[in-house]
Amino acid sequence: MFLHYLDLSWRSFRRTPLVSLLMVSAIAIGIGITMTSLSVYYMMAMDPIPHKSANLFQPQLNTMDADRTWSTPDDLPYQMTYKDAMHLHQANLPYRKSASYRTGFSVHMNNADVKPFLEPARVIGQDFFTMFEQQFIFGDAWSLEQEKGASPLVVINRRINDKLFGGDDSVGRSIYLDDTAYQIVGVVENWETHIKYYDLNNGSFNSVEGIFIPITLTQSMQYDAWGNTNGWKFEEVNTYEDRLASELMWLQFWVQLDTPEAVQDFSQYLHAYLEQQGQLGRFERDNVEFALRDVKEWLAYNNVVSEDNQVLVGLSFMFLAVCLANILGLLLGKFLKRAPEVGVRRALGASKRQVFYQHLVEVSVLGLIGGVLGIAIAQLGLWGVRATYSYYSALATMDVTMLLAAPIIAISACVLAGLYPAWLVCRTTPAIYLKTQ
Amino acid sequence: MLTMQNISKVYQTEKVQTHALRDFDLHVEEGEFIAVTGPSGSGKTTFLNIAGLLEPFSGGSYNLDGVDIGKLSDNQRADLRNQKIGFIFQGFNLIPDLNLYENVEVPLRYRGIKAKERKQRIEECLEKVGLASRAKHLPQQLSGGQQQRVAIARALAGKPRFLLADEPTGNLDSLMARQVMELLEQINKDGSTIIMVTHDPELARRAPRNIQVVDGKLADFTLYQPSGARVEPLVAGV
Repeated sequence: MFLHYLDLSWRSFRRTPLVSLLMVSAIAIGIGITMTSLSVYYMMAMDPIPHKSANLFQPQLNTMDADRTWSTPDDLPYQMTYKDAMHLHQANLPYRKSASYRTGFSVHMNNADVKPFLEPARVIGQDFFTMFEQQFIFGDAWSLEQEKGASPLVVINRRINDKLFGGDDSVGRSIYLDDTAYQIVGVVENWETHIKYYDLNNGSFNSVEGIFIPITLTQSMQYDAWGNTNGWKFEEVNTYEDRLASELMWLQFWVQLDTPEAVQDFSQYLHAYLEQQGQLGRFERDNVEFALRDVKEWLAYNNVVSEDNQVLVGLSFMFLAVCLANILGLLLGKFLKRAPEVGVRRALGASKRQVFYQHLVEVSVLGLIGGVLGIAIAQLGLWGVRATYSYYSALATMDVTMLLAAPIIAISACVLAGLYPAWLVCRTTPAIYLKTQ
Repeated sequence: MLTMQNISKVYQTEKVQTHALRDFDLHVEEGEFIAVTGPSGSGKTTFLNIAGLLEPFSGGSYNLDGVDIGKLSDNQRADLRNQKIGFIFQGFNLIPDLNLYENVEVPLRYRGIKAKERKQRIEECLEKVGLASRAKHLPQQLSGGQQQRVAIARALAGKPRFLLADEPTGNLDSLMARQVMELLEQINKDGSTIIMVTHDPELARRAPRNIQVVDGKLADFTLYQPSGARVEPLVAGV
């Protein structure tokens, strides 16, 4: 009967093309707008590294005097000082860990063939590649010895390798970052993450870096930090050395802790470290304060998905509800006009349930068509978002889940709108219409 | 086969209560051909609707083929209607979007009959009413008489034991009406029980048994004295 009901639905659309077009348009526009905002919200709220997000932790240390506050709910700074980050980075602990920060360079080949271009870079430890699952196309990460030796090495991504070397294996060759030549040790795949969760300072959805250099070069190369630098007390910072020794906070630090025991062990380490720093007179506070947040907690802590986005999704669903109210009205008119035919069908043996199903199939088909058209409208909307806000370029897309969700939402919404009209028409008393047709 | 005892039907609005049928008693044997006559508004159609399980009754009992109709749910009544009863209406009531084949197919689909058997039955029935060659035509492409023959084919397709006809010739000219009546007589000879509501005394006279409904009750059949009719009083006069 299902196929028969599909056939009847199709005939019904052909019989009343204008009303059907109106209904499909209403659901398509409603779904288009809803899916546009929902897709952006979904991508924002999506776990960027689902199989590992519970194992990657960002520590926050309170290295301020007790009377100092921060702009966070628990008064813990978002970032770390260089000395804290490097201490943890170099600590002899059995966990993958890396301090990092964003910088940038004029990239060139020291010849006239390649036009220099400005490119952000990330200064990291070698564990960073493994922790954040960077896939190497050519070569590998620099070794621990090379990192300790502060060798001018670099890993670039596929995009830059394509640009500078036409996609060839560039391992062993050099590129210039500002005025210094760096030897390429590896080429990684472009990092396809829609949220820059490892460093939310420069915007949660900004593009990721394509150049990676050892953090141990910081002291000798004196890289600028291309992110926020925050302080909590007055310090004379006249030289780069002053900066590194200061209480200025400008580095991120991540550690991979795969078991609850590891989390506990690392927490104890942080506790002991902060106690020691307090005893050394670095800050005046009696209690030790720190936090260890995994990726999802970190995103929530930083309000990556703002309330505005949630309100926008709510508003778009309200718009969908208005569309549905219109569809409900049109369905009522359409179905009740068909009551005489339903009367005949009932007289010929159709049960109320069969009539009900027939009409629900019709509204489901309506929802399906509207949903598919809604996807097209949503794509248009997302294109508009991308064109208007390049910041959202990685977010304003529909993944497979959203593509599947669109028709499901559309069908569910149409079925919801069609329940009452279908119920009303299935209660048709056949005798009323048989004489009057 | 069909027994109604003290059937009543009351239509109730906020202010008015209308008794469409009251103390209605009727027994119909298998294979009968009954003409139901009576003035407009007397309750003929209400009787036919109740007999065809299209409307519930307010009081009394109704037994069809051993089934107490009063105890059936709406879905059970729909099933029974689909399996045992065929309808022919004055206005034909064909579904305009469906061609003749599909119109005849409607009750068979609801009965869950397989496509192959449906095809066989539809072709047989359309053949029987002389419209096999026009199976792909839409109802509006046919004359009134032809449409009524399609409606008869649709009623026959389900092989009903009961055929209920409400003014089947009411919208037809006399020639067409005669053809339809001959068809009904043939169907009756083939074994179906027919109850036909009609205003036409000529047609009523051709039915072996006549009953008259007046003010919601079965009245004295002798009012029309149909010649040749099997005279058997059913209920005393009003």
